[in-house]
Amino acid sequence: MTESKVVDILAVFADIGPAADALDQLRAMGIHDECMNVISGVPVTEAMLGRPAQHTNVPRIALGGALLGFSAGAFLAFGVPYMYPYPIQVGRQAPISGPPSVIILFELTMLIMLLSTFLGVFLDSMFPNYRPMKYVTEVSDGKIAILIECPHVEEKKLTDALKKMGAESVEPAEAQHL
Amino acid sequence: MSDNKHKAEHSHEEHLREKHLMLDPLPRGRMNEMVMESMMEPPTWKFWAIIVVLAGIVAYGLVYTWAKVIAEGLYLAGINRPSYWGVFIVNTVFWIGISHAGTFISAILRVFKAEFRRPFTRAAELMTTFGLIQAGMSIFMHIGRVWLGLYWLMPYPNQRMMWPNLHSPLAWDVLAITTYVLGSTMYLFLPLIPDLAMARDRTTGWRKILYKTLALGFRGTEGEWAHLRNAMNIFAFAIIPVMFSVHTIVSWDFAAATRPGWSSTIFGPYFVVGALHSGMGAVIIVLAIIRSTMKHMKYFIRPEHFDAIGKLMLIISMAWAYFFFNDYIVQWYGGDKWTQILLHYHEAGPYGWMWFAMLIVNVAVPWAVLWNQKWRSNPLIVSIVGFLINIGMWFERFIIVPVTLTINRAPFTWQQYEPGAEMPMGIGTMAFFILLYMLSSKLIPLIPVWEVEEGQMAHEFKKFGRETVVSVSELE
Repeated sequence: MTESKVVDILAVFADIGPAADALDQLRAMGIHDECMNVISGVPVTEAMLGRPAQHTNVPRIALGGALLGFSAGAFLAFGVPYMYPYPIQVGRQAPISGPPSVIILFELTMLIMLLSTFLGVFLDSMFPNYRPMKYVTEVSDGKIAILIECPHVEEKKLTDALKKMGAESVEPAEAQHL
Repeated sequence: MSDNKHKAEHSHEEHLREKHLMLDPLPRGRMNEMVMESMMEPPTWKFWAIIVVLAGIVAYGLVYTWAKVIAEGLYLAGINRPSYWGVFIVNTVFWIGISHAGTFISAILRVFKAEFRRPFTRAAELMTTFGLIQAGMSIFMHIGRVWLGLYWLMPYPNQRMMWPNLHSPLAWDVLAITTYVLGSTMYLFLPLIPDLAMARDRTTGWRKILYKTLALGFRGTEGEWAHLRNAMNIFAFAIIPVMFSVHTIVSWDFAAATRPGWSSTIFGPYFVVGALHSGMGAVIIVLAIIRSTMKHMKYFIRPEHFDAIGKLMLIISMAWAYFFFNDYIVQWYGGDKWTQILLHYHEAGPYGWMWFAMLIVNVAVPWAVLWNQKWRSNPLIVSIVGFLINIGMWFERFIIVPVTLTINRAPFTWQQYEPGAEMPMGIGTMAFFILLYMLSSKLIPLIPVWEVEEGQMAHEFKKFGRETVVSVSELE
């Protein structure tokens, strides 16, 4: 029962190089990529760390927002003129005229696309999240942390190995209020 | 001999390091400390004295005078027939113009990977957001009966079952400015999240609560960075056409009318370039003030940045002169009687001095000063140029709005415009802008530390033959 328990280890590295090497070695030790997460204070790309590409829904959500915005714009541009009980003549323009409709469509499309992109970050990152989390504040000072999920029985072996790989500190990760 | 060579190379590298922030890295922890210290340094009595003076101006201009205008009516303003648009609209255009610099710097320069942008993107983005607040307020001032503002702006049927006329440039304005305000505020916030998390990790008490709340639980995991990076890329590309559309649509408020002086096909790009002209001028003033008044800012904001923005200002000044002349020559050549009278009124009327001053400070001064790298790199000189450009650009808008409105095709209505309550209210918006900026400098990390670190990681010295050159890697 105890042997199947899973624990998290947080190893802190001074730089990207040793962290990337450690990730390679951890993989060689049989730790799957899904069981590791890298925490950094700068956007370190997956390619730099040799990690699989991160899945993000932000572009899809943005595209959905753009379509929604276009529809809202179409309603304002093409629907509203027919909502009056009588036609309203503006200058010599037809009730639905092309050039002004382009402007309405553009602005609404962009507005809702930008809002959706912003919300996409919240949805994908599960923001806001004020629950206790596994984290070390050294990350914002430029260190790279690797959060590893491993069976309890391998904790000691992995801790020793990570220290040999150049980790500045290796601690059992405990969730804390940030 | 070899020793001498080595020394020369070393001093060349040292020189480059001193000059360029990207080549002069400090440990991230130290940079965090510097930014936090600059923000949390206890304000001096001078700071509070300025805050009190600004708050007084805001209280008089924005609260008292505006309340009086609301209570007594727009007759307190100088608008008349035919100059039914006055300084309120001038200020709206001016503030929207100022707001363009933030997007230009943080989006266009980001897209083109201009590395010098890194330390001051946030300072410029803040200007965008605060500038748009003043622009929005100026529109509401112009409405007069402000409580009816939303009633007119929102698509709710009124008693006559009429919706806003979406064929009108004024309705486009509402959409464009709303899009720009929301877009630029979100674009300010997204890259701020990692710095708020950094501030959260380094503070206690009420600041900790504030930064913890605003950082949203950001830790810097791979997933969080990936979502953020994607979103910032989308924003950087999408906000550029929005920025162009906003000032173009503002220009159509004028150009779509068949009035002498307004009906111009070139007004869209002319307004956009004008917006960038005043916006860049304002950025340089803000950077010079931040650099000279905030602790450690001389490390982050260096003469190289003034030099780079100075170059942009020079190019934009040339572009502005080109568009101005293009607009002028076509109207002048057209020979329309009323346009001829208007153009003469611009130059020789009671506000003719503004017309000449505009050309001197928008064109002659930048061209005379900014060609020189030494002057361009001097924060004081270049910020004086920026200040003059802003005065010139305000004059330009004043000439386009109330001065142009004075001359129409019905001479019996001609009447000179003299601003009234607009002036204290306009000065109030300026004071409010500075007040917001000063207060935010104590709450928001003005330097995007993670972006600076990312840039420093990408720069290195490389030897090409016998010469040491700077090499930049593409990390994204």
